[in-house]
Amino acid sequence: MQTQFNALLTIIVFLPALGAIGLFLVPPKRTAWAKWGAAVVTAVVFVLTLALYFGQAWDNTSINNLRWVDFSPWINIHLGGNFDFKVDYFLGADGLSLPMIILNGLLSFLAVIGSWHIEKRTKDYMALILLLETGVMGVFSALDLILFFLFWEVELIPMFLLIAVWGGLRREYAAWKFLLYTLFGSSIMLAGILLLYFDQGALHNGAYTANMVLLSSPDHQISGFFSLGGFQIGAQLLAFILIFTGFAVKIPMFPFHTWLPDAHTEAPTAVSVLLAGVLLKMGAYGLIRICLGFFPVGAHDIAWWLGGLAAINILYGAGVSMIQGDMKKMIAYSSVSHMGYVLLGVAAAAGVAADPNLLAFRQAALTGAALQMFTHGSITGLLFFCVGVVYEKAHTREIDIFGGITKRMPKLATMFSIACLASLGLPALSGFVAEYLVFTGSFPIWTTWTILGAFGIVLTAGYLLWMLKRAFYGPLNPKWAALPDASTLEMVPLISLVAVILLFGIFPGLLVSIIQPSVSQILTTMVAVIH
Amino acid sequence: MTVTGSDIWLLSPELSLALLALLVIGLDLVVKRRSVVAITALLGLAIPAGFTFALATNLPNPHQAFFNMLTVDEYSLFFKLLFLLIGAVMILVSYDYINKYVRSAGEFYALLLLSVTGMMLMASTTELISIYISLELTSIPLYIMAGLLRGDDRSAEAAVKYVLLGAMSSAILLYGFAFLYGLTGTTSLDGIATATLKSGFAGGNILLLLANVFVLAGFGFKISAVPFHNWAPDIYEGAPTPATAFYSVGSKAAGFAALFRVFVDANIALPNGTTIVMLISVIAILTMTLGNVVAIVQSNVKRMMAYSSIGQAGYILVGFAASVGSGTPGGIASAMFFLFVYVLTNLGAFAGIIALGHALGSENIRDFNGLRFRNGWLAVGTSICLLSLAGVPPMAGFFAKFVLFASAWQQGLTWLVVIGVLNSLVSMGYYGYLVYAMFVKEPHKEGHISSTRPLNLALAISSVGIIVVTILTSVLLDQANIGAQGLAAFLGH
Repeated sequence: MQTQFNALLTIIVFLPALGAIGLFLVPPKRTAWAKWGAAVVTAVVFVLTLALYFGQAWDNTSINNLRWVDFSPWINIHLGGNFDFKVDYFLGADGLSLPMIILNGLLSFLAVIGSWHIEKRTKDYMALILLLETGVMGVFSALDLILFFLFWEVELIPMFLLIAVWGGLRREYAAWKFLLYTLFGSSIMLAGILLLYFDQGALHNGAYTANMVLLSSPDHQISGFFSLGGFQIGAQLLAFILIFTGFAVKIPMFPFHTWLPDAHTEAPTAVSVLLAGVLLKMGAYGLIRICLGFFPVGAHDIAWWLGGLAAINILYGAGVSMIQGDMKKMIAYSSVSHMGYVLLGVAAAAGVAADPNLLAFRQAALTGAALQMFTHGSITGLLFFCVGVVYEKAHTREIDIFGGITKRMPKLATMFSIACLASLGLPALSGFVAEYLVFTGSFPIWTTWTILGAFGIVLTAGYLLWMLKRAFYGPLNPKWAALPDASTLEMVPLISLVAVILLFGIFPGLLVSIIQPSVSQILTTMVAVIH
Repeated sequence: MTVTGSDIWLLSPELSLALLALLVIGLDLVVKRRSVVAITALLGLAIPAGFTFALATNLPNPHQAFFNMLTVDEYSLFFKLLFLLIGAVMILVSYDYINKYVRSAGEFYALLLLSVTGMMLMASTTELISIYISLELTSIPLYIMAGLLRGDDRSAEAAVKYVLLGAMSSAILLYGFAFLYGLTGTTSLDGIATATLKSGFAGGNILLLLANVFVLAGFGFKISAVPFHNWAPDIYEGAPTPATAFYSVGSKAAGFAALFRVFVDANIALPNGTTIVMLISVIAILTMTLGNVVAIVQSNVKRMMAYSSIGQAGYILVGFAASVGSGTPGGIASAMFFLFVYVLTNLGAFAGIIALGHALGSENIRDFNGLRFRNGWLAVGTSICLLSLAGVPPMAGFFAKFVLFASAWQQGLTWLVVIGVLNSLVSMGYYGYLVYAMFVKEPHKEGHISSTRPLNLALAISSVGIIVVTILTSVLLDQANIGAQGLAAFLGH
């Protein structure tokens, strides 16, 4: 590939990091400067991500047909013994990554606005939010596998500190748990990346590459078998499992999910928003882009199990949500459940062999999964912001302590109700489109898992509406007679996200038309490889 | 048998450095102001550095001097520049500490420079007796430095221990060298290589194997590989902190430089290849695991860093095993790159520890609590260094480890890589804990901790250097690769 530079993605990725360094220079007493600085930087980045969208036509993008490419060779050394160490600085966006880049831009900006009340070490807090944004932007735009891994790890330290310093009572426990789970996953992922890198290089006479465009093309995919303790495992399947372990922790997939409720419950509101809104999506994005794109055979081998785990995720997450007394913990578990839809869509896409009649279904399922990443990010973000406002006013999140507070907080209750309805998949709100696509697409492929998973929708409606009824409707609990409503500043993130949910609920085509070509390419490769 | 101008030119970096050491110690007698002595030492380093650069940019041919006792190749030049960097940063790091705690400042700098001279020779000598002499030139100043805190029992104890154990390890090394001489009739590494290839050792030879083991053991002491590591924690704790920093980077890097040289140039591992690779792998595993696991439970930062540096030596041995096993330079090239990054990073971490110890008078892990509130930049700089040591991306330590493990993986040492990666995870436990203590925990006491200008400069060099090295990985790794390839044209003869 030729060196080329559009620079826009590079700016989007690194501007927040520069902002973070800049914030460190702010005098200690001037907390307002830190807030405004972070707000300006994230706002500029958000506008730039929109410029990504409006600056070029987005019809027919895929990993072979990227937009806004920044490419420059970085490390290229022949280390003897037939080992090349080759890393390129390669950023680019396609229909799969663009929605996530924009979502990250939006949520980071709203997170800064939503953290305006933070008085404890404001400067550090804002700097860490900005560092986090850099890491996540990098993950979604990196197109060299090793560069991807570098960005993947950048998020770790800021997130750890954000939970450990600004979290709730059990913050340190939650932060360590988050760190250990993530490190465990990413070191296994690194082993998978090494395996892929060397196996691919060996198959192509030492033409080592970590270029994700090449790795996703059928003639660069790995094949053959590995012998582990006398039993044979397909190279693609082994690489899939190793790399997917890292993503499974992040998504989070049962049984790797237990860090999430703790991290979410203890993290401050805006951090929960980012965690659920974009960080979990890094796992889902990696699953689609890397696991499905590079190892179609491995994905095909494991698809039935993946479907089963998806159903467990959906039902288990929803079931546990039902019995939570803490609003925030309930929403945390609902994330586990909703990320199960993404897994189900992927499992369906990887499902059956080349039956031309089912290709449209698989495509729908995968499009739904990719769309769910975006919609769940916006809806959960909204839910967490709502809970944050409630907690800010009432200093508790126990559902049963409230009762009828709609009378005191009409504005907030409206937003909260819209969020719940969107989350349970009400038509005309964006959650519906994604879930509909996933379930319709996966039904003919994994019928049992889909039927089981569909019960998740019922459960979701159950726990969300039940929570609304107990906390917001019915007679007003006199204890909350003096509860103030959300302030104008607090309404900014809420209204913005409601607008996003409505926009893509009514015009899902805006996103689907971008996502679909990228998804098709992955499926086309799959059909070509699996016979 | 005459010495030619070319010989002198090739020796010029070491010669000028030795003269600088003498100048510094002489200056200390006549000049009262200590800063003058330190600045002379620091600026004086520009002269050997200039010679080394001149040699590096225009490598003379032939590049052997003094009847092939000295070889100036890309490999040795890489290490020489590294040692000069160590020397320069060490002077910055030690200035305030030495002024405060050590009565004889000039001696400290002179010893430091003499030791660096020895290290530079260790990377360059290609003959057994010269290797031994340069090893002693390196070590004897180190023994003295350990005891420089006069009136401190622990410092005296450290010095005595260091001398005794150091002498023992030298004896073991010499024993191995004697075997090599007895088997081959020559002390030149080239001659040994030719002899081992020609004289029917092909199927393995028990005496040669013993020689290998003794040489490995002798250098194993220098690089503090398990089971020759026992000296490190006590001596690291007792010695003045700057001396500890110097042991953890200088002595280790020089030990590795000579170890690689002997094993590759003399090719002594070849006849018993599989056994030796197995032996090195076992030592690597023990070293990584013991270092990292024991580091977790330490409460004194210097002891923790001692065990951490043992663990780091284990990683480097993984690269060494890869190269010895395959006869290809990839492993040693990545080990050299790793050493470079390790040196830079460890010096930075020690700069932070010294700054803290300088202000508080103690080096407990507890003292790191809430450092963020007491000196933000110090906390940030030290954290960057610690995270790089742990191998967290995007710090340079990650690429260093990545390349090292990747080349071992490529040579089929998968299990060694797996254990290495697990050890990296363990190391997050203690490096990460320090970062956690600095940024999350509440400080015991209020009040700003002030750091001094030389320490800040050293810390800035390290932490900015870590980011720069990440970006320039290609350039540095390329140099390391050229150096490793030039090592006896890598077993190609």
